[in-house]
Amino acid sequence: MDLIDISKSIRRTIIELAHNSKGPHVGSSLSCVDILATLYFNVMNFEPWEKRDIFILSKAHAAMALYSTLAARGIIDKSLLDGYYQNNGTLPAHLDRFSAKGIETSGGALGHGFNIGLGMSYGFKNNKEDRKVYALIGDGESQEGSIWEGALFAPKLGLSNFTAITDYNNLQGYGRARDICSFEPLRSKWQAFGWHTIEIDGHDHKAINDALNEDPMGKPKMIIACTTKGKGVSFMEDQMVWHYYIVTDELKKKAFEELR
Amino acid sequence: MRNAFMNTVMDACQTRDDIFIVTGDAGLGVFDEFKDTYPDKFLNLGVAEQNMIGFSAGLSLTGFKVYVYNIIPFVLYRCYEQVRNDICYQKLPVTLVGIGSGITYAPGGMTHYSVEDIGIAQTLPNLTVISPIDPVEAKLAAQYSLEANEPVYIRLAKRGEPAIHDRDKFDITLPQVVKEGADVAILFHGSISVEVMKAYEELIRGEIYPLLVSIPMLQPLQKESLLDILKKMKHVICVEEHFENCGLGNIMRKVSLESHSTWKLKTMGIPYQFIHEIKNTESMREHFGISSSDIVRTVKDIAGGVNERR
Repeated sequence: MDLIDISKSIRRTIIELAHNSKGPHVGSSLSCVDILATLYFNVMNFEPWEKRDIFILSKAHAAMALYSTLAARGIIDKSLLDGYYQNNGTLPAHLDRFSAKGIETSGGALGHGFNIGLGMSYGFKNNKEDRKVYALIGDGESQEGSIWEGALFAPKLGLSNFTAITDYNNLQGYGRARDICSFEPLRSKWQAFGWHTIEIDGHDHKAINDALNEDPMGKPKMIIACTTKGKGVSFMEDQMVWHYYIVTDELKKKAFEELR
Repeated sequence: MRNAFMNTVMDACQTRDDIFIVTGDAGLGVFDEFKDTYPDKFLNLGVAEQNMIGFSAGLSLTGFKVYVYNIIPFVLYRCYEQVRNDICYQKLPVTLVGIGSGITYAPGGMTHYSVEDIGIAQTLPNLTVISPIDPVEAKLAAQYSLEANEPVYIRLAKRGEPAIHDRDKFDITLPQVVKEGADVAILFHGSISVEVMKAYEELIRGEIYPLLVSIPMLQPLQKESLLDILKKMKHVICVEEHFENCGLGNIMRKVSLESHSTWKLKTMGIPYQFIHEIKNTESMREHFGISSSDIVRTVKDIAGGVNERR
């Protein structure tokens, strides 16, 4: 399977999970699928497991995307997905690192995973372990002060084994990020903080792959991935309501037709 | 206490290579030698407490035994959610070393006091809380933390406190009898120990011998052990340099209720209010009724009552 098919399959699983759980965050999850698929199927090393690369979903409300990717990659058993966001279930709507293999950090409150990731990449570097750390943050999440606290320190510490990716869909829970605060221009901000910064189409697998593999010249890397919230399902795309809307039987059918 | 604690941790680096010390631009002079000897085992993460705690959680996930050193508001309050989610929820063996307990820094102002930290720590499952009374307990607390597989919060005052215990080896997880006595027990933790010992000297001059019990580990509290120590007591006085409504006093109210205790409980602490008084630590203790003379008076009032009933 190529990444296009893998991403489609992950998107179908997300719709399935959202439908079964009647839970929110479908749009947020669909937005970052191509990034996760590229990371887990093309870029990250998992052998041996003890020395694996680390992915941290800092925007942990997109947990459905991570669970679906982990299942597709065979890291967690698909049967675990049945208990997503269920009474007496298996997987919570936000991450608990004790719930399943491959959940590297617990999270849900924004502006946490990014900083934990910095600490991990420093730890690996200090231990002289050749392991990479990737952290995905949201553009809404970029309003958290902790993100910018970490942004100030990572270049100083020479964390070239750390890559942050901003899922830049410009649509947060209650509006457009750019209407809520002046976080733009995003790229020049990260550049000014001393990061190796790349801006790409966050749904173009080749562009994602190239950006992830680009030499950061000794700096921590920030990939600004321009994405569409709800990507892959036309009636969800760039629609704010799909941060919280639930997938009904009929909508699931419609979505699956598009994701064949 | 600060030096007893940190020196024990830094000495352990001679035989362990997994210890890492993080500060948030605090601890002037404390780490100078350590930084020179172990430059790759120390980081000053600056004035950025959320990052400091999250970063430390990440370091811990890669196998380091992390110590975070800062004054208490910046190790527990400013970054409460990071302590909750990143360290306690993930059950990581990070030790938070908080300096300036109670009103140590008076008259520094309310922002720099730590009179509610035990109350806050009680909202954090998995977190072990140790509030040493002297350098002996501080050293044992450090030894405990070096072996701990869970998050630990150490509540320290500053440096230069006198040793109170005449033993140097005991189980820091258990309440400790500091002085044997009868009828009235005084329970205490942390830097108020100076006032308690001063009060004790005065009381024995008047031939009143209260039982002195330090409680270094406030969470989890070994209740059975404590109840056993207190079983012959008629009165228990709890004194602390902390808000009276959410520290050891409150913990003891619950213990007393649940154990149907026969002893009567009296709590002494700082009243639940923001502190606007501009006084040094000693005067502040007098102002809030937790000084040695307040302790003496309280014990005498109670002891008088005990004797009258006899």
